[in-house]
Amino acid sequence: MNKYVERLYNGLIKENPTMVLMLGMCPTLAVSTRAMNGIGMGLSTTAVLILSNLVISLLRKVIPDEVRLPSYIVIVASLVTVTELLLEAYIPSVYEALGIYIPLIVVNCIILGRAEAFANKNKPLLSVMDGVGMGLGFTVALTLAGLFREVLGNGTAFGFRILPSGVQPIAIFVQPPGAFLVIALFIVIMNAIGIKTRQKKLVEGCDGCCSTCASTCKEAEK
Amino acid sequence: MMNTALNISSGPHVRNKLSTRMIMALVLLALLPATIVGVVVYGTHALLIILCSVGTAVLSEYLFDLLVHKDPKGCLDGSAALTGLLLALSLSPSTPLYAPILGAVFAIVVVKGCFGGLGKNFLNPALAARCFLLISFSNPMTAFKVDAVTSATPVAELLAGRAVNITSMFLGTSNAVIGSSILALLIGGLLLWAFDIIHGEICFSVLGAFTLFVALFGGQGFDPAFLVANICGGGIVMGAFFMATDYVTSPVSKKGQIIYGAVIGILAGLFRVYGSSADSVSYSILIGNLLTPMIDMYVVPKPFAYTKKEVSKRNGEPKKTFKDFVPRPVIVIAIITLIAGVALGGTYRMTEETISIQKEKKAWASYQAVVPGAVEFKQVEAVNEIAGQIYGTEFGRVKINQAVEGLDESGNTVGYAVEATSSEGYEGNITISIGISANGTINSISFTELNETPGKGMLASEPEFKDQFNGMAATKLKLVKSGKSASNEVDSISGATITSNAVVNAVNAALDFYNNTIKGE
Amino acid sequence: MKALILIMISGALINNVVLNQFLGICSFLGVSKQMKASASLGAAVIFVLTIASAVASLLYDLVLAPLGLDFMKTIVFILVIAALVQIVEMFLKKTSPAVYKALGIFLPLITTNCAVLGVALTNVQNGYNFIECVLSGFGTAVGYTIAIVLLAGIRSRIQETDLPEPLRGAPIVLISAALMSIAFMGFSGLNI
Repeated sequence: MNKYVERLYNGLIKENPTMVLMLGMCPTLAVSTRAMNGIGMGLSTTAVLILSNLVISLLRKVIPDEVRLPSYIVIVASLVTVTELLLEAYIPSVYEALGIYIPLIVVNCIILGRAEAFANKNKPLLSVMDGVGMGLGFTVALTLAGLFREVLGNGTAFGFRILPSGVQPIAIFVQPPGAFLVIALFIVIMNAIGIKTRQKKLVEGCDGCCSTCASTCKEAEK
Repeated sequence: MMNTALNISSGPHVRNKLSTRMIMALVLLALLPATIVGVVVYGTHALLIILCSVGTAVLSEYLFDLLVHKDPKGCLDGSAALTGLLLALSLSPSTPLYAPILGAVFAIVVVKGCFGGLGKNFLNPALAARCFLLISFSNPMTAFKVDAVTSATPVAELLAGRAVNITSMFLGTSNAVIGSSILALLIGGLLLWAFDIIHGEICFSVLGAFTLFVALFGGQGFDPAFLVANICGGGIVMGAFFMATDYVTSPVSKKGQIIYGAVIGILAGLFRVYGSSADSVSYSILIGNLLTPMIDMYVVPKPFAYTKKEVSKRNGEPKKTFKDFVPRPVIVIAIITLIAGVALGGTYRMTEETISIQKEKKAWASYQAVVPGAVEFKQVEAVNEIAGQIYGTEFGRVKINQAVEGLDESGNTVGYAVEATSSEGYEGNITISIGISANGTINSISFTELNETPGKGMLASEPEFKDQFNGMAATKLKLVKSGKSASNEVDSISGATITSNAVVNAVNAALDFYNNTIKGE
Repeated sequence: MKALILIMISGALINNVVLNQFLGICSFLGVSKQMKASASLGAAVIFVLTIASAVASLLYDLVLAPLGLDFMKTIVFILVIAALVQIVEMFLKKTSPAVYKALGIFLPLITTNCAVLGVALTNVQNGYNFIECVLSGFGTAVGYTIAIVLLAGIRSRIQETDLPEPLRGAPIVLISAALMSIAFMGFSGLNI
């Protein structure tokens, strides 16, 4: 497979950031209450991820190792704010729909995780494709989780009611406990059908965090 | 053979010599009086609820055991049946049948089975299932219908300061859950205690702490009738004797049990007196369950898995500090920050004007929605003086963002629009445009920012809640739980008091601004 | 006074940062494997979050807001938190080696803990004053500590060998968190 296309396949399926790498649990749990949120959060993250992978890949030889994390954080935070301002000014309808998620992107482990694991070791174009693949993988996973929770908890899909009116939706699925339950269920299914994920690492000490936290952690453990 | 096998696989062994099966049978027996009273008082639907719940519990235990390759005969040890019965007894007699079925599955599969079955769960399955159902189906779960007439429960009446019939609460003929007969529960519970099946430390510390809390903070002092009524209602007796005492989810040591019971009692009192949730006891017992591992760990000291040696090894040598940074990284990061800052500032200046135009457009659209007939809007000057400040003292965290006068084609005033933001929504800010017609009534309200919980706070933008405001006089409004009776009252969204409160506060602030500033001009 | 207490209780219990707002999930799930580590991390978070809320609040009220640099807050807060963690670390190392020994390895973890940034941003969004920011930061951190320590307690009881294969690892921890979250919903709507 072409190495650029391979990046897409890798992000969407093989190393899906949410389902396989278990990155970015905070936004996954927090915004998966509705399917539409999944698309919104997913696409805005994709945009920032593409840009941050590009910038970090370009600067990979300039940034010294010791301060790479703070540098990445500054870059990502600036990109997020720039994206936010541009959207607000020129595509207000999109901003309207995504507005509240955009600041949350800064703390999404996927962005720093990909910077650390891919963009700082690879060429710009390949890093951009990695951003596209990972971003879309995140979008698909988040939308699925959102759809699942929305249907069970609110009886609707993308805002349209699909359960017959006599059937009472199980509201707990759009409440905080439902978020944990649904993600647990997804992982159980992945485990049961034998797909290997990083799920164990998620709950075992330092390694469980995204790779940024993990690298800080390893430094800490030294 | 069977009994021994079960005895080994069940919970901590130190506690009782009786086999699991025996204990479960005795507890079930102790619940029999309450069950019978429930069925006699509430009729066949109550019986159906009990059968569904118990049947589903046993069946799901059987199926789950099959699925995870355990001996499926374990489902007959009585624990699943007990969970099902406790769940059923804690439900309203008018609960639709899907609730006990779903609840029993949740209790057995998620709360118990997932953690390895009997003795491994950390929450009481029946209670966790009840809370699961309360959160999921708040309306059907909290509706109490006797003879097809919906009315308030004794506890609700009590909290509203109305008189309640203590005798009927004691006997279990009042408007409450199926297992609400205090007399029957006490007979069973005290017998269990007398035969050392349950620990008195737990039940009496729950009841004691609860009574003390209600007496101190309930607002009616040590009024015996009020205290007795509080104890007889809301499931505290069932909780204290049959749920908090569950071996698996309560502490092992006597001292731990007293602490555990007291925490539950205090929390139940706190939720009863100050809470708005439909249930006070279940949640407090669940929180007590959460604390159990901690209590067991600290009240009966046992060695940690950590040794001193390991800790010092983990700490190791200190890590890098600023001193270890060579100048170059500092310069690089400073440059990156500088460039980022310049880029941000540049984008901000570039987009500033466009953004404010966009915002204005959006605001106009919302004014037009609430002041129909206006073709032009003129800002009310006085609004500049209070911009960005918390408005008044009685509306919580509300700011008045904007106020405009709507004019028709010939320049006559057709009404005013005031935009206010409350930052006390359940999930953050709620911004509302309130339209007030020239004759001093509310035209309508429109949300420009609302990100509340779907199915609860989000219902604020549904006509059922929002349209209540239409046509009301522009004087201070009052939020009531349900059943508004006066013209200035607004019904709260069920299960979303915080959201409703924030909306009403914002509207009131806007009306206050209209009455005191705009009209005064 | 009552409002201040409410801010703290709301941060700690009603809007629990982990179980309700889903911030700081990484360390909540990861570190709760060990009770001792959880307690130490909790202590470190209380320490840093309280100071960070105070500094962020001052910086916002005295510098960013007057200069109209509101849009810079995210980037400034992140830098402040990172710098603060370093300073706290150096300070502790010099002045109190015992405390440093206990909390030291957890401090760097906090820089990337999204709960810290989340709280600093929400404080500003809610328009809190200085005292309110400090209390909200403290309350939130206490809530984080309660949640992680309780989960660690629960996890010490779970024996993986008892569980069906697919449930081992992350699923059982997530289910435990879900059940905790159900219990914590008891606090919602508490109106003191």
